[in-house]
Amino acid sequence: MKSRAICAGLLLAIFPTLDGPYRVALPGYHYEFPKDYFDHPEFQTEWWYTTGNVKTVDGRAFGFELTFFRQGVNRDEAKKSPWDMMDLYLAHLALSDLDGGHFYHSERLNRAGPGIAGVSGHDGKVWNGNWSASWKDGGQQLVAQNEDFRFQFTLKSEKTPVVHGENGVSQKAEGTGRASHYFSQTRLATRGTIELKGKQYAVSGLSWMDHEFFTHQLDAEQAGWDWFSIQLEDKTELMLFEIRRKDGTIDPYSAGTYVDASGKSNHLRSQDFSLQRHSAEWTSPITGTSYPIQWNVTVPKFGIFLDARTKLPQQELAGGTKLAPTYWEGAMEYSGKRGSAPLHGSGYLEMTGYDHPIGLK
Amino acid sequence: MYRAAQLFWRLMMRPLAREPVRTGLTVVAVALGVAVVLAMDLAGTAATGSFRSSLEALSSNYNLEVTATGGIPEEMVGDIATLPFNLRISPRMEDFAVVSETKKTFALIGLDLIGEADALKEGKSAPRELNTGENAWVDFAKEDSIWAGSSLGWKAGQQVSLIIGDHEQIFTVRGIYEDQNQPAIVMDIAAAQRATGRVGKVDRILVHAPETEDARFWITRISATLRPGVEVRAAGTGTEENRKMLAAFRWNLKLLSYIALIVGAFLIYNTISVSVVRRRGEIGIACALGASRASILIAFTGEAAAIGLVGAAIGVPLGRVMASGAVKLMGATVDALYVSSRPGPIELGITSVFTALIVGIGVAVVAAYAPAWEAAQVPPVEAMARGRREFLARVHKSRDLAASLVLAAMAWTASKAPPVAGKPLFGYFATLLAIAAGTLAIPAVVSAVLRMSGGLLKKLGVASLLASRSLLGSLRRTSVLVGALATAIAMMTAVGIMVGSFRETVIQWMEGEVPADFYLRPAGSHSVDRHPTISPLLADNIAALPGVEAVDRLRAYEVSYDGVPTIVAAADLRGARKRGRSDFFSGRSSEEVLAELRSGDTVVVSEPFTYKHNVKRGDTITLRLGTSLTSFRIADVYYDYGSERGFVLMDRNTMKKYLPDDAPSNLAVYVKNGADAAQVRGEIERTASEYRILIFSNADLRREAVKIFDRTFAITYALEAVAVLVAVMGVAGALLALVIDRKRELGLLRFLGATSEQIRRMILAEAGLLGLLANAAGVALGFALSLILVFVINKQSFGWTIRFHWPVAILSGAISLIFVATVLAGFYPARVAVRLNPIEVVHEE
Repeated sequence: MKSRAICAGLLLAIFPTLDGPYRVALPGYHYEFPKDYFDHPEFQTEWWYTTGNVKTVDGRAFGFELTFFRQGVNRDEAKKSPWDMMDLYLAHLALSDLDGGHFYHSERLNRAGPGIAGVSGHDGKVWNGNWSASWKDGGQQLVAQNEDFRFQFTLKSEKTPVVHGENGVSQKAEGTGRASHYFSQTRLATRGTIELKGKQYAVSGLSWMDHEFFTHQLDAEQAGWDWFSIQLEDKTELMLFEIRRKDGTIDPYSAGTYVDASGKSNHLRSQDFSLQRHSAEWTSPITGTSYPIQWNVTVPKFGIFLDARTKLPQQELAGGTKLAPTYWEGAMEYSGKRGSAPLHGSGYLEMTGYDHPIGLK
Repeated sequence: MYRAAQLFWRLMMRPLAREPVRTGLTVVAVALGVAVVLAMDLAGTAATGSFRSSLEALSSNYNLEVTATGGIPEEMVGDIATLPFNLRISPRMEDFAVVSETKKTFALIGLDLIGEADALKEGKSAPRELNTGENAWVDFAKEDSIWAGSSLGWKAGQQVSLIIGDHEQIFTVRGIYEDQNQPAIVMDIAAAQRATGRVGKVDRILVHAPETEDARFWITRISATLRPGVEVRAAGTGTEENRKMLAAFRWNLKLLSYIALIVGAFLIYNTISVSVVRRRGEIGIACALGASRASILIAFTGEAAAIGLVGAAIGVPLGRVMASGAVKLMGATVDALYVSSRPGPIELGITSVFTALIVGIGVAVVAAYAPAWEAAQVPPVEAMARGRREFLARVHKSRDLAASLVLAAMAWTASKAPPVAGKPLFGYFATLLAIAAGTLAIPAVVSAVLRMSGGLLKKLGVASLLASRSLLGSLRRTSVLVGALATAIAMMTAVGIMVGSFRETVIQWMEGEVPADFYLRPAGSHSVDRHPTISPLLADNIAALPGVEAVDRLRAYEVSYDGVPTIVAAADLRGARKRGRSDFFSGRSSEEVLAELRSGDTVVVSEPFTYKHNVKRGDTITLRLGTSLTSFRIADVYYDYGSERGFVLMDRNTMKKYLPDDAPSNLAVYVKNGADAAQVRGEIERTASEYRILIFSNADLRREAVKIFDRTFAITYALEAVAVLVAVMGVAGALLALVIDRKRELGLLRFLGATSEQIRRMILAEAGLLGLLANAAGVALGFALSLILVFVINKQSFGWTIRFHWPVAILSGAISLIFVATVLAGFYPARVAVRLNPIEVVHEE
């Protein structure tokens, strides 16, 4: 799910969809790993999305985000030059200095070009310039940098990939193909280094990776969404998203997934959970947009009651270019209980469509 | 102070007003000198000083550039993009497009409009207007999309037909961006690769590296990741190298412009001398009344300074006007010989004005110093003594002659010295010494000639004899006049001989160098630093025509060798072997040299290349070709007058090993023996009808070359003309002075029965004698100077071997013209002399 859909929406508006060359996400998709870690050019939109919470030994906490998008814009077979725009590659990079109180982010847009950006199953790599995610030796490497910081992480998955939705598709709206193929690696043990303003930090923690591919999934009445990734200390995870409609109601296609400690996943329908906003809001000085930054998360089916907060309210990615949307994506802390037992965790929250309703124009 | 000024005004300035014509001529001479110096300075700055390659449009905010001869393999863009440094990159296609309708050429720049979207939007390195408009992103992907700089004056939506290389294509203007008067046509890189026919390569990658480290650091780090032939250097290095090359060119022109000023200095010297002579009586009185020698000195230099100031004040606006013309001429030279450029605006700054004033006044004061000093030395008694109407200048003929010989010897020595930092400093010094030597020798020569020719002149009539005697009587003044005119004539002769020799050398050289029947090149923008290409297929098709015996393909690349812009070219040497006749330093036959060239990594280099880089036959040079760095042995050196740039030539097969690119820049077509050339031309035109190609016959090409040559030297001719004009004006002024000075003598002559016709003839004869003497001395001195110009200055500045040649027709024409002008310059003084009232002038005393 997530904000990438906004980009997708905008891109769709810009590049008239060529329905012909692309497949839509239909039930019955059979996943094959590691092949499905890489690209699916037959679908128009695809993203690889890693977020994580890490800490130094003495407790200094950071959140990070590294996201790669691919948007198909042309499938003309006659175009052979690497410079021909077949796909556009957008990438987001963010670092939340949760104790230092700073948020850094940048974005990148490229065509594949001669090796500038792309996805290669052969090399086991997704990259955009010198930002990359690569798969090797059963783990994953993330490398990225900008003017403020650089990081390098090694990710080891503790669980097999979790496929969201039902029968291989995550339905997002009414209608055939208004859906995506969506899977996550919900518990990635993370180690690495962050260099921020010339200082090195050795860190470790947990990351979450989403990979989603589809063609044209949303409908015009959907205004935005709130997406939660929750990694709990009892080795279970939750993914929950709620689609807000322009009329203010919650879309019935909102859904989620509960992953138990053994890695078994349970699909959650919209009636299986609730996401309640608190009145606490943070208003962006850059865009003027207000975001609810405190939530109550309840999944009665699994006895989970959580309070969701963030240490750093200003985790807004203010879109710098026409193609990049403005959204809030930030490291979260969760605390509450399962039944009567105390329960804590961390994760990420993404809020979109608060500046203006996303739309297909 | 006020009284001193008043005295200065009355004694020094008022007399000037009493002789408006002579004073006016001197002022105009100074004005012309100052104007020429200023004009050359302004035009030089406009034509070359702000030189910036038009390909540098949209390149600000990058501090490094990556280049490779023949383009960078595009994979390297990915390699650099993924380096673990915070680099911002801008891969570019760079070419030129000729607008079909107006035939104007503009830079064509292909940018990664997606990758640079951020920069484009923020206006960091490129115009933000590029990505406005709802359809901008769709337009990026269209092959016919172009964005135009605002100074082109185009409109969005307009269709424009452009000639790029050897083809023509219609494009649609998708948007206009504010270009800050640096016009360019922008395309997306994918479309630009196709339009230029260079798919798979990019011409340059601009890189912005963090400024936390210096450029050296980044150049080393980035170079280490690239192939050896690929060069990383500071952004704009090419522009900088071209600027350096142009600076040398400007330097030479500037020196040439000072000739007019030097001639002007002679005239000031003359004016002040006359002034001193004529006011000896007044000087005597002033001294007797207690004026110090210093104040006399100050008075006369002050007079000169006033002339200098007025002259400079007139010269400044005049110079500004001349600059407009000069900038066009200079621009043509720069384009033909150095680098294609667009002259900037002419800016008359306060510094230029100030410099011109100081130069004008300075030259005047320096020139006046000697006569002023002499005035200060005059004993009052002698000055006031009656009866000595004529001041007999104390001329030390033999002492001057001895000094002249010493200076000539020094000039000889200086001419043998090597260049200093690539500039022929000693050559110029030798020129100055030679002029000084010549000037010092003039009194002796003049006196000898006049004495010896006495008998001859007597036969021509009493007027001529009197004229001769009169000139001899005022030997010093005569010498100064002859010196001024002779110097101007000498410089004109010298430059005339040099240019004439050069022209003749080029024409002869082309006989051997241009052997083919037809030459073809793309219709796209072509110049000394641009080498658009022809489709290889067309070359093959032409070679296959029945009337064609052979086709030579030449491919040229613009490179930087050792920090100097250089051309590296490769040619088929088959045709040349059959018919060509090239001149090599070793004196070997072309066949022998070309066989050596075909045998491996060997090259021949042009003569200018050897001087620029201090190499010779047998040496090894290292060239970047494609992605490799390869050493080549210099098999021989050949004479080349085609360009001031160095030229490195190799066999096409050698080049292909490193740069497998088949597109030729030029084709030389040889017609089969017995085939009809006109018919073959028709066949070629039909074959090339789909392409935009220019065909030159052998004669066309030579004509064009000579035309370019003449255009190149137009500015030199213009400078010479001004110097001569100044000198001729000096003659007029000086003759007038002679007349006024000899009023009493002329009056006596009338009393003795001389008719006004005889007086007129006498004055005209003096003018004629002056002209003859000056011409003879000038040509002699000019010959000596031309040797320095041709064999020292030219060789050291440009590296061309010029074969000496007398441009008899042009030279004799110019000299006759000057002679006629000097005689004509005598008419007004003659009229003044005739109109003198004998009773009045004699009675005056």
